[in-house]
Formats: sequence, C-alpha cells, structure tokens
Amino acid sequence: MEKILKVENASFSYDKQNKVLKDISFEVERGEYIAIIGHNGSGKSTLAKLLNGLLVADSGEVTVANFSAKDKKSLFEVRKRVGVVFQNPDNQLVASIVEDDVAFGPENLGIERKEIGERIDFALKAVGMEEFRKVSPTRLSGGQKQRIAIAGVLALKPEILVLDESTAMLDPQGRKEVLEVVEKLNEEEKVTVIAITHYMEEAVRADRILVINHGEIVMSGTPKEVFARAEELREIGLELPPVCQIVSGLIKKGLQIEKEILTEEELLEALCELLQKN
Amino acid sequence: MKDVSFGQYYPTQSFVHKMDARVKILLIIAYIVGVFLVASYHFLGFGACLLFVIIATIFSNVPFSKVLKSIKGILFIIIFSAIIQIFFNKSGKVIWWIITDEGLLNAGFIVARITLIVLGATLLTLTTSPVEIADGIESLMSPLKYIKFPVHEFALIMSIALRFIPTLLDEIDRIIKAQKARGADFESGNLFKRAKALVPVLIPLLISSFRRADELADAMDSRCYAGSKNRTRYKKMHLTYRDLLGFILTAGLITGVVFLNGFYVLLVI
Amino acid sequence: MRIVAEELNYVYSEKSKKLAVHALNGVNLTIEAGDFFGIIGKTGSGKSTFVQHLNGLIPTDSKHGKLTVGEFVLSNKKCDYKALRAKVGMVFQYPEYQLFAETVFEDVEFGLKSFYPNLTKEEKEVMVKTAIETVGLNYEEIKDKSPFDLSGGQKRRVAIAGVIVSKPEILVLDEPVAGLDPQGKKEFISLLHTLHKTTVKTIIIVSHDMNLVAENCNKIAVFCDGKVAKVGTPKEVFTDYENIKKTGLDLPLIAFLTQKLQEKGIEISTNLTLENFIKEVFKKHEEVKAKQREGGNR
Repeated sequence: MEKILKVENASFSYDKQNKVLKDISFEVERGEYIAIIGHNGSGKSTLAKLLNGLLVADSGEVTVANFSAKDKKSLFEVRKRVGVVFQNPDNQLVASIVEDDVAFGPENLGIERKEIGERIDFALKAVGMEEFRKVSPTRLSGGQKQRIAIAGVLALKPEILVLDESTAMLDPQGRKEVLEVVEKLNEEEKVTVIAITHYMEEAVRADRILVINHGEIVMSGTPKEVFARAEELREIGLELPPVCQIVSGLIKKGLQIEKEILTEEELLEALCELLQKN
Repeated sequence: MKDVSFGQYYPTQSFVHKMDARVKILLIIAYIVGVFLVASYHFLGFGACLLFVIIATIFSNVPFSKVLKSIKGILFIIIFSAIIQIFFNKSGKVIWWIITDEGLLNAGFIVARITLIVLGATLLTLTTSPVEIADGIESLMSPLKYIKFPVHEFALIMSIALRFIPTLLDEIDRIIKAQKARGADFESGNLFKRAKALVPVLIPLLISSFRRADELADAMDSRCYAGSKNRTRYKKMHLTYRDLLGFILTAGLITGVVFLNGFYVLLVI
Repeated sequence: MRIVAEELNYVYSEKSKKLAVHALNGVNLTIEAGDFFGIIGKTGSGKSTFVQHLNGLIPTDSKHGKLTVGEFVLSNKKCDYKALRAKVGMVFQYPEYQLFAETVFEDVEFGLKSFYPNLTKEEKEVMVKTAIETVGLNYEEIKDKSPFDLSGGQKRRVAIAGVIVSKPEILVLDEPVAGLDPQGKKEFISLLHTLHKTTVKTIIIVSHDMNLVAENCNKIAVFCDGKVAKVGTPKEVFTDYENIKKTGLDLPLIAFLTQKLQEKGIEISTNLTLENFIKEVFKKHEEVKAKQREGGNR
C-alpha cells in the first residue's frame, strides 16, 4: 500500500521551551481511517495543524505524497491534498451563500470557472446538501453547517480529510449526519480520514487508533487492540467506549464473554447467548 | 435581535436579482443622487422616485412588506429628524405655538428623503447577495489598484464582515442573557452607568471575536488562500439586456426629476 | 423552592403572523425542591425556551399561562426579577466564554454587587471565598489571577462560582459537560453532585446526552414540540420506548440494550447505570445457570 502521509520525528513547541509534541512518528496509508485520541491539552489539535503546514515542526518532517510541509514552495501542494475541518462550524465559513463558500477553495487555486461549478456540484452532493446551494449558512443547523465546511474542503479534491474535533459542538443528530458523510467519503470516494477526537465511540469505527498523551504517541493499533488496554487508557484520562466498559465489567465478574466486542450489536448478540435459557 | 432586515439577502429568481451587481450599485448611486436632486417642497419629484422603487420592487419578486420593514429599523432616526425640523425651524409663518409652515414642510421633506434612500438601498441588499455586492464594489474600485489600494483585501473584509453579522448578533444575545442571569442590569441608571454595564458584554465579545478571527484565518489558510494573486472567480459579472433596461429606467427617473423640478420653477414664475 | 408551570405558552415574534414560532405550547411541569432534574428533547423542542423562563430572561405574563418559582409568581407583572435571579442561578453552554474581569475574584464577585449591594467588603470576601472553594479551586492561589490565564476546566469552574456566589436555591445548567474530555466530564459531574448535596437544593440540567441524564438525574422531563411529552424517573421515561421514539430521541445505551433483550424474551430490570446493569446481567446469568442445572438434574 502507498503511504500517503509520513510524520517523522516531529517536535513542536509554541514557546521554544515546553514541547507540545515530542518526537512524533507515524505513517498513513491511502484510504485508511485513522482516529487520534487524547485528552484536552494532549497535543492532538497541534498535531492536526502540523499535518497541513498551518504550523511547521521545529524538528522532524511532515510529508504528504512526497511534498514537504516545511517547504514554502510545496506548501500549497500539501494543503491541496490535506483538507482540515475544524471544531466550530461558524468560524470556518467565509461566505454568506453556501455555493460561494464552497467555491472559496477552488477560487484560491485559480481554477477555471466552469470547473469550479462542477466541483461545487460534486462537493455538495457528496455531503448531501445539494438543495441548500443558494441558502445562507446562518439558516442551517450545526450539523448542516459542518457538512458545508466538509464540502468546502472537498472542493479542493483533497486526498486526506482531517477532522479536528469536528463533531464536538454538534447535537447527537448533527454528529450522526457528519459521521455518516465522513464514513461514506472514506468508503466510496476512498478519501483517507484522520479523525481527531475525544469521543471514544467515534474511534470504534477506525481502522487504526493512535493514542496521544503529553505530546507523545503512547499506543497504536486496531480499536480492539487499543481498547483491550483499559487500565492504561484510564491512567491517561481516557475512558473506554460504554460498550467496552460493560464488556470489561462483565469479564471482571467472571462471565464468559467475547473480549473483543466493539459495537452495540455485537454486545447484544453476546448478551443473548449468555442469558438465553436452554 | 434577529429581525434586522437591512442587509439580509432575499433569495429568489427575478429580473433584478439577475442584474449585474456593479450596475445595480451604480444605479442605486444614481437613484440617491436623483433623490437629492428633488428641489425643496417639491413632492412630485419624490413621487417619481417612489414610482421607481415600486417598479423595481415588482421586478424583484421581493414582497413589499420585506422592503418596507427596513424603515422600521431607522424609524427612530426619521422621527428624530422630523421633530428637530418641526420644533426648531424658526423660519416661515407660525401656524401653532412654535411650529412654522416651513418647519412642517421641511420635516415632510426630510422624512421623504431618508425613507426613499433607505428603501432603495434595501432593495439593493435584498436582491444582491453580500458576496455579489463585495465583488461589485471590488470591480468598480479596481482602477484604484494602480495607486496601490488593496482593493481585493478590502472587498474580502467587507464580505466576511457581512457574513459574521448574524453570528455576532446571536453571540451578543447569548452573552447579555448570561450576564443578566448573574444580576447585570442594562436598563436602569444614567448614561454613564449604562455604558459601564456593557463592559461585561463587550469584553467577552471582543475575546470571542479574536478567537473567531484566529480560527477563520486557519480555515482560510487551510483552503489555500493566498491573497488575490492567481485567484479566479466563480461568479463572473457580465452585462445583459437587463442592465441596459435598468439604465434606461434610471436615466428616465433622473430626467423626470430634473424636468419636474424645472416645471415647478416655471409654475412659480 | 418548587417550580410549577401550568399551560405555559411562548411564541417568538408573536405579533408577526408569518414569522411567529410557537416555542412552548402549554407546558405543564412541576419540579420539586431537591430534585436533580433532567430536561431532554431535540434541538427546537422548546427546552431552552422553557428554562429561560425560570429566571425571567424570557418574561411571561398572565395571558400565557402560569409560572411560579417558590414564592415568585412570574406571570405577575410585578415580579422582582433581580431577587428571583439571585435565587435561580443559570449556567449557559460554554460558560467560560462569559468571563470578563481582570481577576478571578472580581469576576466571581460580579453578581454580588447587584444582587446584594448592601454587603460589606468582608462579607463579600467570605461569600466569594466560599464559592471558589465549593467548585474545588484553591482560593488563595487563584483569586488574583486573570481568568484568561486558567485552563479550560478551571475557567468553567470559575464561571460556576460566579453563579453560585449569590447562594441560589436552584441551579440550571445547559449542556454542562459540552467540550470536556472523559476525565474532565467525570470530575465535573461529581462536582455537580457535591453542589447538590452541599450548596444548591435543586439542580436542573438540560442536555442532549442521554447517558448523562439517565445516570445522574432522579427525574426527567422529555420536551417535544413545545410540550412535555413525558415526566418520570429515568427508568419510567426510558422504558416507555414508544414515547421516546415519537420524540425522535435516542435511547441511552443501557435502555437500548434492555429493550432489545426484552424483545428476545430476556427481562432485565435496571436503574440505567452501567454498574447496575452489569450487576443485573450477572444476576440473570446466575439464574439461567441455576435453571439449566435444574433442568440437567431432571
């Protein structure tokens, strides 16, 4: 598989003294769905900004499809490929009409008019917001605004979509909408996804989880592998997703239950098997 | 708080909506000049301007109530200027107490003038999205580029400001409520006290605006923003027959006003 | 203080026929003193509008139903809002964004100045100190610091201190744990329980987080289309599956699991907390095992 993103020994500090990120290294394959989890202040949002060159590592290297984020000349090549969706939907929309906002990115790249129109069609369709094309974003719900923000990034045709706590300010309905869109993009459009979050439930879906604490990657593996280390997670201020909490509670009580359960459905099945009388 | 209709775009399909923003801006300027050209005490000229607004509204598919609502927002200013004229204009014949005929006429004149100007400007903002207005102004101002005026940045700042007005109004509403819940009182006391009471609103607002600006800058950078260089435009402005018609109508209006003014002068003689 | 709402109505832009939005359509609800009360409902169900009535941020009158909070009759025109607001504290979503003063002390003191203008400096100091310590912060260490230099969690605590400083009997919190990470959330919930035990009689939380209200509240009201669709204990509310579905809400995880198990003929009775569910499953399992043994013996 092709490595689309490489982070090699990246360190960063805002004040030249306290390192927010310490010697971070990881690689991401094309089409992967990665979740980066950590508590508030663990450095995970700083990492997001390193990935598209909003911040430049003090030492080490971030490369996207062989373009260095450090190099001013290739910065745009990096940003074109790494789209970032931030936390507050209100603070990333620049225009008062949905289609004008989606057009903002392609306009910056100097793309021809006709193609911008096509990209708006594509991006709005991908997030299921075609009918809101001429609407003002202020009239939309939080989840819808965030889908427009995703469309604005998709119009740049990125290869990697970085979600920097993009669901944190949404209600359950909005969160569901956004996650469904992201999942669809990952599956159908083969967009590589890097989701930065502290909602453990959202990490369950990932192919791989990176756990970050005090600016270091302390765990890495599939959700099953990571969530099997409940004690360590708790020590760094993280909780298992509720489903896994139930499973680990039952195991502690001495019940025979599959250890690697992640979803509600799997849990339900296991419980039925456990409690069925016959 | 959210009832501000001034500056709110009314999305629909219409003749006026499809006109070139630059032309609309120029026409509005011409219209405002027209309103100012109407000679004192001469209300026929205003009639012509009103007719112009009515025709334009019909062609814009915007309900009249929407256009009229804009006056509500400046009602205070209108009443205030009328009162000043009525009570403080000392020239002319005294009709009753200190009120003179000239004062009354002047008041009517000023009310008509402000109302007509606001109606016209509202029609522009109702039929032209903020982005189009900003683009239009940018295009009209583009000759200024030669004297190194940052036209593009200026236009972008303007459209972002327009975009954030509703967001900030919501925010102000929220902060006011939060401070009221902690006992803040914005309604009583003298002017100085009231101004002081606003500090707990203004500081959080300022801080949050800076935070928003920071995040917006990051979001814009992430979407490859790098100034006006090599930038293309999705919405291209081009002149159509509609713009020509608009021109003719406005030209007619101004000629009408001038003509009616002259007619009036002749009558007096 | 007891809260009683009878046929409470509220319409946004009431005078305009086109823009009028009916936010509350006859709310009937009683919240007893001492409750740890949860209010849930989808965005736009009227729950925020309702709680903003409780301290008069949205004023009401006798034409729009009746609302009393303790001895205050809010539907009466002469209601003293200032005195009411001292007794009904309200914490909005992301309260840390309302901090404004130069020092933590001044910020927390803000409410006292207008609620109780006759207090002496010493009296105020004692009240501010109590409030700051109640939210779990070190008074001496923090009082002269700028609130903007604190961490996110500390800021939120200072904001809460600024509300409880006037010794309210009722504390309303809108999405109190939004934006907190798991550890911060846990600590904050335990702070709410401490407040409930020591300082404020009644706590009302408004939230989208079904697990949060199911695990922490003794009573819950479900809002839907400007009305109260259901009131009861978490168990009563979340086992009324039909009703919850109608209001468009998700079930908390435990209620979801019990419902699905019930459909398969497995009855588990729980109070909807995680620990309790695990215990009950274990119990059930023992029963099943015992029965199987019986069957085997026969």
